[in-house]
Amino acid sequence: MTSTAAPLVEPSPTRWSKGRRIVAAVLSAVATPLLAVGVLLLAWEGAARFFDVPVWLLPKPSDFLVRIVVDWQLLAQNAAATSLTILMGFAIGVLVAVPLALALVVVPALERGLYPVIVFLNVMPKTVIGPILIVWFGISPMVSVLIVFLMCFFPVLVDAMSGFRAVDPRLHHITRSMGASGWQTFRYIQLPAAMPSIYAGMRIGIIKAIEGVIIAEFIASNAGLGFLIMRASSFMDMPLMFSGLIVTAVVALLFNGALTLFGRLLMPWAFASGRA
Amino acid sequence: MKVAGSSISARGLTKVYGAGPSAFHALGPIDLDVAAGEFVSLIGPSGCGKSTTMLLVSGLEPPTAGDVVIDGRPLTKPLSDVGIVFQDHLLLEFRNAMDNVMLQQQIRGLDKATTAMTAAALFERLGLSGAEQRYPSQLSGGMRQRVSIARALVHQPPMLLMDEPFGALDAITRTQIRHDLELLWLETRKTVLFITHSIEEAIGLSDRVLVMSKSPGTIVEEIAINLPRPRPAHLGEYPEFSQYSKRIYEIFERLGIYNFSDTRTSSGGSMLGAPQ
Repeated sequence: MTSTAAPLVEPSPTRWSKGRRIVAAVLSAVATPLLAVGVLLLAWEGAARFFDVPVWLLPKPSDFLVRIVVDWQLLAQNAAATSLTILMGFAIGVLVAVPLALALVVVPALERGLYPVIVFLNVMPKTVIGPILIVWFGISPMVSVLIVFLMCFFPVLVDAMSGFRAVDPRLHHITRSMGASGWQTFRYIQLPAAMPSIYAGMRIGIIKAIEGVIIAEFIASNAGLGFLIMRASSFMDMPLMFSGLIVTAVVALLFNGALTLFGRLLMPWAFASGRA
Repeated sequence: MKVAGSSISARGLTKVYGAGPSAFHALGPIDLDVAAGEFVSLIGPSGCGKSTTMLLVSGLEPPTAGDVVIDGRPLTKPLSDVGIVFQDHLLLEFRNAMDNVMLQQQIRGLDKATTAMTAAALFERLGLSGAEQRYPSQLSGGMRQRVSIARALVHQPPMLLMDEPFGALDAITRTQIRHDLELLWLETRKTVLFITHSIEEAIGLSDRVLVMSKSPGTIVEEIAINLPRPRPAHLGEYPEFSQYSKRIYEIFERLGIYNFSDTRTSSGGSMLGAPQ
């Protein structure tokens, strides 16, 4: 039983306002963009119908949205192939870039010798290597993997290097007095300390990887969304091309989201809240 | 009382950074003797080579001349049987408080359960209970330094080297943490080399105070502090405190570290307004 004065007071104002805040957050995060996209698609549909735009010039949303449903198996297969290519190229890129970055930071002679080469390769558009890779490996997903690797390798390398450089040298006083080995220093100090920078490089890298994979599949693959879009283009199949475009965007979103979650796993301290 | 500390003996310790005309003579030559279980402070002005002394005694920097002998053994590589606390807490921001302390266990390969128990006891002892899972960014400056002290003690070293450990803390926190450190020391009687520029801290904690000159630092005076322990927060309770303190001030004045002569001109002697 509450006191007699209580009924006049709202039961739990904080909870109520919290609920409202959540509803408002969901509205602004999901509903508003959905609404905007819906309005845009409706306007597109209406305009295309009103002006009677032929489907080979510009498909209506109803054309390509229906196409996604009808050809979902084809799209899903190619999306899976593209995702696998991204995953492999990206993973190799990170696994090569991080140790190399540490080596370049730790051994100055190595940096003096190798860094100009790395800068040259970084500045060069990676897709020009495509034709050469085709000669070496033929038309295959292998070429796409290599291009994705090259695309995401450099941002991770450059950011990891600045991350390793920024590790407070005084921390080595602590580890040396503990008698830490080189591997222990890397494992317990340098790698986690550089992780925010490496992660920043990975975020740029994954965007580059997605960009790279589609171009690579345009020129040098027999599977994947890029290949599907290119083939649809040769058949003037506009609805399929638009469907491919949308699925590509979805794949990009999924990779970005996965990386955000991965970041929380990798760096729980960066997301710890509350400061004393 | 059983003495659990190491002894330090250094002869002709000298450090010169760089070479040629730009060489900087940072320290010495100094002779330094700290008995096992003794609490010795080095006090001197900024840049007098106090911190250099600590780096040389810990083996983190090689001396330009002279040598260090720990427990009868000449020091040739970084000393690992030691706990070090720097002015900056130097905690790893990506590890919570307990994990920062347990880094000692991981790197030294100590028994996990035993070390965890020691760590828990230290947290309790240092007023850190409840802060185990917090990241350094979530702790106050004083608490960070307490975690840093716990890290320096968890492997139960016979010697503790502290380089202005309370220098970055506010006066109130400093007095409390000084008291806590003294009690902790009374329990374990480790050898402590404590570097400070606070006269009050030096007298409040030490068995002996070594006063250093300006750069290049040499030890100019040695003062044995004969005050009962534990010493109170307000050291002015002891008439001897002001005598010790006066002596250090006088040495500093003699060395030209302080200048207390009245430099006001006779006509303008009332800059702050003379009392009516």
